[in-house]
Amino acid sequence: MAGIGFELRKLLKRDSFLAVLHTYAYAGIISSGPWVLSIVAVLIIGVISIPVVIPHFLVAQFQTSITYLIALSLVFTGFVQLAFTRYSADRIFDKEHFRLLPNLNGLLLLTSVTGGTLAFPLTLILFPATSLVFRMLFATTFVVLCCVWIAAILLSGLKAYKAILINFAVGYGTALLLAIVLRIWKLEGLMLAFLLGQFILLQGMLLVLYRNYPTRSFVEFDFLSRKRVYVSLVFTGFFYNLGIWADKFVFWFHPYTGTNVIGPLNASEIYDLPVFLAYLSILPGMAVFLVRMETDFVEYYDRFYEAVREGGSLTYIYEMKDEMIRMAREGIYDIIKIQAIAAIAVFLVGAKLLDMAGIPQVYLPLLYIDVAAAGFQVVFLGVLNIYFYLDRRGRALFLTSLFATLNLVLSVVSISLGPYFYGYGFALSLCIVIMCGMFLLDRDLQKLEYETFMLQ
Amino acid sequence: MSHNFPKSDQVDIMLLLEGTFPYVSGGVSSWVNQIIRGFPDYRFGAIFLGSHRDDYSGMKYELPANLVHLEAVYLHDPHEKPEIEAHDGNSSAFEVIGRLHDWFMAPDPDRLENAFKDINFYLDPASGVDYRQFLHSRRSWNHITRMYQERCSDPSFVDYFWTARNMHAPIWILAGIAGRLIPARVYHTVSTGYAGFLGALLHYHTGRPLILSEHGIYTKERRIDIFNSDWIQDNRNALQKDPTEISYFRDLWIRFFETLGRFCYGSSGTIVSLFEGARLRQIADGAPAEHTGVIPNGIDVDRYAPLRQTRPEIIPQVLTLLGRVVPIKDIKNFIRAIRIIANHLPQVEGWIIGPDDEDPKYADECRALAESLAVADRIKFLGFRDPLEIFPQTGVLVLSSISEGLPLVLLEAFAAGIPAVATDVGACRQLILGHGSEDEALGAAGGVVGINNPQALAEEALRLLIDPVLWKQAQQAAVSRVERFYTQQKMFDSYHDLYRKGML
Repeated sequence: MAGIGFELRKLLKRDSFLAVLHTYAYAGIISSGPWVLSIVAVLIIGVISIPVVIPHFLVAQFQTSITYLIALSLVFTGFVQLAFTRYSADRIFDKEHFRLLPNLNGLLLLTSVTGGTLAFPLTLILFPATSLVFRMLFATTFVVLCCVWIAAILLSGLKAYKAILINFAVGYGTALLLAIVLRIWKLEGLMLAFLLGQFILLQGMLLVLYRNYPTRSFVEFDFLSRKRVYVSLVFTGFFYNLGIWADKFVFWFHPYTGTNVIGPLNASEIYDLPVFLAYLSILPGMAVFLVRMETDFVEYYDRFYEAVREGGSLTYIYEMKDEMIRMAREGIYDIIKIQAIAAIAVFLVGAKLLDMAGIPQVYLPLLYIDVAAAGFQVVFLGVLNIYFYLDRRGRALFLTSLFATLNLVLSVVSISLGPYFYGYGFALSLCIVIMCGMFLLDRDLQKLEYETFMLQ
Repeated sequence: MSHNFPKSDQVDIMLLLEGTFPYVSGGVSSWVNQIIRGFPDYRFGAIFLGSHRDDYSGMKYELPANLVHLEAVYLHDPHEKPEIEAHDGNSSAFEVIGRLHDWFMAPDPDRLENAFKDINFYLDPASGVDYRQFLHSRRSWNHITRMYQERCSDPSFVDYFWTARNMHAPIWILAGIAGRLIPARVYHTVSTGYAGFLGALLHYHTGRPLILSEHGIYTKERRIDIFNSDWIQDNRNALQKDPTEISYFRDLWIRFFETLGRFCYGSSGTIVSLFEGARLRQIADGAPAEHTGVIPNGIDVDRYAPLRQTRPEIIPQVLTLLGRVVPIKDIKNFIRAIRIIANHLPQVEGWIIGPDDEDPKYADECRALAESLAVADRIKFLGFRDPLEIFPQTGVLVLSSISEGLPLVLLEAFAAGIPAVATDVGACRQLILGHGSEDEALGAAGGVVGINNPQALAEEALRLLIDPVLWKQAQQAAVSRVERFYTQQKMFDSYHDLYRKGML
């Protein structure tokens, strides 16, 4: 599996406008494909079910259940996402590929057992009005989703974005096809279709891993050993995912904006749809992020540390650092630029699009601010990513925990300020953490070579 | 290992020993042992400075009873380091350090900053630069990068950085020792270098006098080590490399040790060398002439005198080299000379008496050389042996070194009635041919040849081996010279004088 940076650079080397376009399109598809697929698939399943699944609120119940399952499984696995990303990156760096699969199995086992132990009793207790089958499906899907995220993490660590994308396409495609057949069993049928799709997705990713990284031992817990676990990353991953979902939870459960859908699960009619639509607009930003980070920034990052390690002159070290900073800055600016264009496009045609989709125009202001906020989220991701490359884990923890806190607090404040301010909590919290992040990054990069040499 | 070291809370004389007694055997170590035992009424203390604990395999000497205090410090072993934390560092103290490094470029003995003489400069973060500031402060970083940009001609910054760090780190370790060491009435260092620097700090800190006895010339020996070391990086590429110019890092090390040497010379009340040539060299290296003096090594002649009677009538066809198997002794030169002698005198044997574990790679090379010159059966690596047992079987003692001080082994051989052929290094010429008219009148006790000249070495040795008359004359000269000028008693009297004055 060739690294993605390598593949993108090969595309860029052809050096024509078309090649550049091709590169960004490719990067956009592999970086955003999986979650675009999931959002679209869940929407389509909803649409095709409406004629068959009666009463209609069952479709809303399905969509809400899936949204919660995704949110909760992401927040739950947030504790291990970054720590395991780092663990697998370190093993790959140490050329210990044989450790990857057994430790993935160890982590999957650990996650399944703890996730299952939490999910099954809680689902049984919290969904008293639903059928036992639904409850079983709900809890099982939670566990399978957790496993999907973890397997996807290892594959992206191995830069096998294409394999991830293909498996997501196959998994969600299967779910869609099964939904057509199983929709006659209403809510339970749709849930089963989704679960089977996820199961195929998980098996597909595992198959790729088993094929490419054969190993002798089946299960290891090396990733838990004291020397190899970074506690700060455990919490950074958790706060990041919590931060991303914090405003949604607030809107779901605030009495002004949330309504009960199924069991204890609330949805927010006014908030949900614009937010998820807005996320579709970050596709170009994600493409730029991937190209800029994996090619330009990483190239100078590698040169800088190579110069430090392998005896470059101080002038060369300074030059490479300056180039690295320039690439970081340009990368972030490019994300901002492309997202600004995306936002303008939404501003121009948003009203028409909502019309065509049959969505009331009241959503429009919220859609606008959510498009801006989703763009900010990509910028934030860019800043965090630079910190991960520089291995400044303390900064990443600070920024993500600040983000989670701000998003929680400001979303509550935005609700009390009235419907016109909905979405501003999310946008403002990202705005603040980005500014903090850039300010700190500026200072940290100034001192980079001093800290690289003298603090050892 | 250290728990059974003798410990005391006060001594008369504190010896500062870098890489010698009691862990390394050799001329200087034996001399230290001799001095301690020669003054049973004085209470001695000693600090052994080594590189890594693992480099030394146990004590090579039984500790004398009057050595009442011993500490071993390993400068390059992992040691307790200050907490790693970013901070600025003391601005005025770094200005002083900046001036010092400018001063190194054009040293003027009268203008060395006094700040460096105070151990608080190294220990007190408020008034100086402590270890933590040296390792982690921003000003330290600024200083290192400035020095690199202004001076370094090697492109590799990372190598410069670690060279500078590793070179200077012992300074703070030594300042720490100077601050906590038990009191002594006199400090006596047997080399400049790190030990000499420690001696200087102790002198300035306590006001007690420092005596420096240099056997070899430390900076010169270091220079040879540095030239032969492959651990010093040279990153210049083919175009940047000027073959007449040594690697910048080698140069840096050499200048560093020269500077430590000057610091030590400046603080020593008495600077002792073994022979006149060495004294002149010290003055050239920055020692104030009025503090220098010569005290040659002396030996216990009575111990060796009886061996003259146990010798066989005919001259044993054996050339003996007594010394460690290390490059500085140029054992290969000796092996090549044996090859040449064997062409005329097939029964000749070359004995190499001395430990070969110090530089195993070099020892292997020597064996391979003997093998390839087809004299492996003529050359015997006998390891460490008692000279008393070896001397009667020796025809001529050979010293093929590229550097020596005043080699005791020559004096011992003389006392045992053996002539010698030696390279013209250190005091060898003075010992073999005499120094001053009275001495020269005694005649030649063998031959002196240039360094790394196996042909000349072979010719001189051969002359002695095959000519009993010449051999007898050389023996006469050897015995008279050692009895007249190089007795232990003479040396003890001189040091007794120094110690007594120092303790006032």
